[in-house]
Amino acid sequence: MCNMQLSVKGQLVRYLFLFFLTLNLFAVDATLTIEKDVEQRTRIALEDGSSIPNAKLFDLLLADLKISGHFLVDETHYEGSFDGPLLNPAFKSQEYALKYTMSQSGGTKLSVKLIKASSGEEIFKKSYAIASNAKMPFLAHKAIYDINKVLKYPDIGWINRYVVFSRYTAPRRSEIVLADYSFTYQKTIIRGGLNLFPKWADAKQRSFYYTSYRGLVPTLYRLNIYTGEKSKVASSEGMMVCSDVSRDGKKLLLTMAPSGQPDIYQLDLTTGHKIRVTHFNGIDVSGKYVDHENRMVFVSNRLGYANIFKKEIHGSAISQVVYHGRNNNAVDTHGSQIIYASRESSSTFGNNTFNIYLTSIDDTSTRPLTTTGSNLFPRFSSDGTVVLYIKQTSNGSSVGYINLLSKQSMLFPLGTRKIQAIDW
Amino acid sequence: MNHRTLLGITTFSLLLLLSGCGQPVPGMGGGSGNVYDTDTVSIDESGSGSAAYNSSSDGFQSLYFDFDSYVITGNMEATIAKNASVAQQSGTRKIKIEGNCDEFGTDEYNYALGLKRAKAVKDALQMQGVPTSRMVMVSYGESNPACSAATDACYAQNRRVDLRLAK
Repeated sequence: MCNMQLSVKGQLVRYLFLFFLTLNLFAVDATLTIEKDVEQRTRIALEDGSSIPNAKLFDLLLADLKISGHFLVDETHYEGSFDGPLLNPAFKSQEYALKYTMSQSGGTKLSVKLIKASSGEEIFKKSYAIASNAKMPFLAHKAIYDINKVLKYPDIGWINRYVVFSRYTAPRRSEIVLADYSFTYQKTIIRGGLNLFPKWADAKQRSFYYTSYRGLVPTLYRLNIYTGEKSKVASSEGMMVCSDVSRDGKKLLLTMAPSGQPDIYQLDLTTGHKIRVTHFNGIDVSGKYVDHENRMVFVSNRLGYANIFKKEIHGSAISQVVYHGRNNNAVDTHGSQIIYASRESSSTFGNNTFNIYLTSIDDTSTRPLTTTGSNLFPRFSSDGTVVLYIKQTSNGSSVGYINLLSKQSMLFPLGTRKIQAIDW
Repeated sequence: MNHRTLLGITTFSLLLLLSGCGQPVPGMGGGSGNVYDTDTVSIDESGSGSAAYNSSSDGFQSLYFDFDSYVITGNMEATIAKNASVAQQSGTRKIKIEGNCDEFGTDEYNYALGLKRAKAVKDALQMQGVPTSRMVMVSYGESNPACSAATDACYAQNRRVDLRLAK
């Protein structure tokens, strides 16, 4: 009996040791693991078995696999039989083949198979269907999400989410649009008028806040994208923006200007109680929660130029977060991570370069995420692993993504209309 | 409880813990429905909103600001005085003061900058005797450019405050 108890305890200790050892491996410096990750990415190729090969679908599957950071993808658009064996010799150098077939009559149906290239073993098979052909990108994203999950890689749920953005269509006219992350799918939710600053109201993306300029004063509304139910939240002369939403959706950080003075307020939606968080007579905007929503990071010109600061929601002390750059006027946060856009060039105009930087609320180390061009609107994914940004050139705009763990990056064209605000 | 059962429970527990709390896919859970199959709304406000002016009207004159600035400079004072005179001649009608920016910078900061410009003009008009109750401010940020050329001269035209009688 005593020996059996010792044996059981020994097994338990061994498993606990393995458990804690594994936890410790996940905690190593992300910088050190990047080089290893490149070598460890799964080699995969795609084979299109559709009766009419679809280049757009191939591009989406390719982009999804690449930006996940978990795959080294053969970029050749192979074609073959969905139900037949892997015949192309090119697959011999791959670990997996992703066979797929899509049809688009009466809706879109996508079927996928993940095959182990060395043995032909079928690891995963699934079909996806959606009534709207326009929403085909979401089937591609879901398929890659599932394959990533089957191979037990870290979650990439952000790939399935809507992006909501506003863009100008004419002077003082805009539209608010839903898109998939690649901007292949786009649907205008609010057309006409001047409606700006969309911000998701809940994690499930059923509603968003936005600012309407329909009346004499800007007004914040909440809109359910499925029912069209619209409710007024607040209004303010001069300016009215929802900058951030607490994780439980019950508190908002607002930029308001009741006396024409832009400051940050916190609104408790449950009680209706509003507190003024900043009291500077210059510009304080773009409040973003950090530290379990006890503090916020925000943009202020209290040093004479736009820069990033931090403050306790209920305290008065304010401290500087960023110590470089000439104009740091956009910020986003996730946990203790902070990303911001910084103007690099010394000239006022001309070839103005804006770059995105990553830093932390807890220390002053900073690293650039972009190095060329005009890069603005930095936004974290919902899990904080990927950064979205808008790159603007004289030829138009692109939406960019940077995977912070794998350093994979990707650009998708956006066209010529100017993005006003974006949320993810 | 025998050794094998305990081992199984421990392994199962560890697997549960190690499988991670994966990000829930919004709209993809709960029943067999795929939320992307649910249609989202489409709202048309094309007929709404005031006419878009990109300069002052009703006899008022626009004021122009330096880059990233909302300071009323000495050379603006004559225009402020003229606008105050127009305001005093327009009875009790409300005056809309619209702040604008050039295209540089990002969303909220630009709108705040436009608002600070509008407030600077409002304060200057108040000093000239225009009652604050007659003035309402709004910032249009970079949404209402007077011109779109990529030149310093055009950017300077967009860094402005427009005034008009509110409808």
